[in-house]
Amino acid sequence: MNRKEILHVENLKKYFKIKKGLLGYLKKSDQEYIHAVDDISFSVGEQEVLGFIGESGCGKSTMSRVLLRLIEPTSGTIIFDGVDLLSLDKEDLRKHRRFMQMIFQDPFGSLNPRRTVSDTLRQTVRTHHLAATIAEEDKLIRQAMEEVELVPVEEYWDKYPALLSGGQQQRVSMGRVIILHPKFVIADEPVSMLDVSVRIGILELLEKIKQKYTISFIYITHDLSTARYICDRIAIMYLGKLVEIGPTEEILAHPVHPYTKALIAAVPEIDPTVKVKDVPIKGYVPVVPGESSNCRFFPRCPYAFEKCSTDSPVMQKIGKDHFAACFRVEEAL
Amino acid sequence: MNILEIKDLKVYYMTKNGPAKAVDSISFSVEKNKTVGLIGESGCGKTTTARAIMNFVKEPGEIAGGEIIFNGRNILNLSDGELRALRGKEITIVRQEAQNALNPVMTIGDQIAEVILEHERIDKKAAWQRAEKQLDLVGISHKRAKTFPHEMSGGMRQRGMIAIATACNPDFIIMDEPITGLDVIVQRQLLTLINDLRNRLNLTALFIAHDLSVVSETCDEVVVMYAGKIMEKADVVSLYQNPLHPYTKALIHSYPSIRGERRKLKSIPGSPPLLVNPPEGCRFHPRCEFATDLCRTVEPEIRRINGHSVACHIVK
Repeated sequence: MNRKEILHVENLKKYFKIKKGLLGYLKKSDQEYIHAVDDISFSVGEQEVLGFIGESGCGKSTMSRVLLRLIEPTSGTIIFDGVDLLSLDKEDLRKHRRFMQMIFQDPFGSLNPRRTVSDTLRQTVRTHHLAATIAEEDKLIRQAMEEVELVPVEEYWDKYPALLSGGQQQRVSMGRVIILHPKFVIADEPVSMLDVSVRIGILELLEKIKQKYTISFIYITHDLSTARYICDRIAIMYLGKLVEIGPTEEILAHPVHPYTKALIAAVPEIDPTVKVKDVPIKGYVPVVPGESSNCRFFPRCPYAFEKCSTDSPVMQKIGKDHFAACFRVEEAL
Repeated sequence: MNILEIKDLKVYYMTKNGPAKAVDSISFSVEKNKTVGLIGESGCGKTTTARAIMNFVKEPGEIAGGEIIFNGRNILNLSDGELRALRGKEITIVRQEAQNALNPVMTIGDQIAEVILEHERIDKKAAWQRAEKQLDLVGISHKRAKTFPHEMSGGMRQRGMIAIATACNPDFIIMDEPITGLDVIVQRQLLTLINDLRNRLNLTALFIAHDLSVVSETCDEVVVMYAGKIMEKADVVSLYQNPLHPYTKALIHSYPSIRGERRKLKSIPGSPPLLVNPPEGCRFHPRCEFATDLCRTVEPEIRRINGHSVACHIVK
């Protein structure tokens, strides 16, 4: 990658303790953990959009919260714009948070129903001390609303979230982010609850603010088709592990990992004349395991062999910027 | 032969600002052994249509007019007792949120057996055996018959719903966004199951979805709704290859695909109108790039063009 790195993550781990019952204490059994994010390394370049794709429970959202230190990681390194985030104290972290923001999935749930659009944005301005006078505040709010195309501004200024459509609500959330001029934004399924016809508008807006304010994005989704339209690279996650990462078009055209292949095959097809093939894998995503030394995908994998059940595969280079963790890479190519 | 015929159906929700016309004079029919897709954005009246077919519209909604002819009888004229016999036996529904639709304090096996016992003269043991068979049919092992909904994953609950809906060999199934909100791989598995059952049980169904992709894989015919009105109706292949209505075209152009060339997408500007006070003329005109003065004043009639039924002034 030739661009400047904004975020660099190495060996990030987040384990959650499983509560021991009374019996567990009496028997003095060992503490067990759920490995929600297990040894993930990647980096995001300036103005780059990196997509994280995976099913429910694969650890995407846990990872995004760990990256912003909304929850503390078990171990690992997170370097944001040259600063080691994990070494910061609370006060310093607050100063940096301004530059790393998040857009959530549920547009209505992430807005306060009793605050109008302008009040919501004003709250952000005040929390981060961006303006000295009310007039300055108003100016910033107005600019942000124009930026996210909530125009004419007067019409939306005093509206409550309940009176806005899903797309408009998501624009308010984005306005709240833009007002801070962040360097890095995590968008957690920003369009999955919206109608198809307004999704593209939101994706175009993300693209626009990315260019204008030089923002890097992590785009989290389970939907490969929208990821294709916004992501430069995509990373596929399964049960807390990264299984494949690479340039978007390269992965869609030449997926290597059996799980990636299944995800791509599963996407519904709009053209009724195209016959969609069956997905080869069976069963459901199991509960995230604790300590394990095998490939996490092997129980569902149609290509699994002896080694998959005993050893854990590591990431290996497939092509330019393209990596995958699978023992059967040679066969897959 | 038509199993279901909807004629001029109107469903209004009474609000303090006047009636919201959620479904406004729609007509379509479903032939035996065919699956019809009903698509449109949120709030266009899809689910309200489904509820009307079951005669299940509740306050503040009311069926303001029209007929729903099912197997020769108008559902809207049936007594409560007749409706009770009809629902769950002749017409069944698979709802979007299986979590809320299933009974949390009954095992899945009991819930299937309950439907069978309600509608057929059969003893409990035989009903239970049928329930187990149903579970095997939808790909859940019959050994799981004694599990409760909270012990099942989202995909399994939806399979359970399908098992209940097909338990009494219904003449007609309504599937109201059965795969929305599930993971892609689970969605694919359910679509495979639905298509498989469609062939094996000769189902006649109405499949509701918010975009064309899912409908493309499961349906024979598609009805496109917008703001309570039908915009276009056609065979699924023809609708995708030669959409006539600007709204259908816009829906297709806004859908991102992962197969083939990456094409430029177009969003539809604006958002659907409030149904209390819908726009004059064609309801889509404020968002339509081809709108003329005629579209702004006169509501288009449904016309037959190239085998499609389409409500638009500018289509020639």
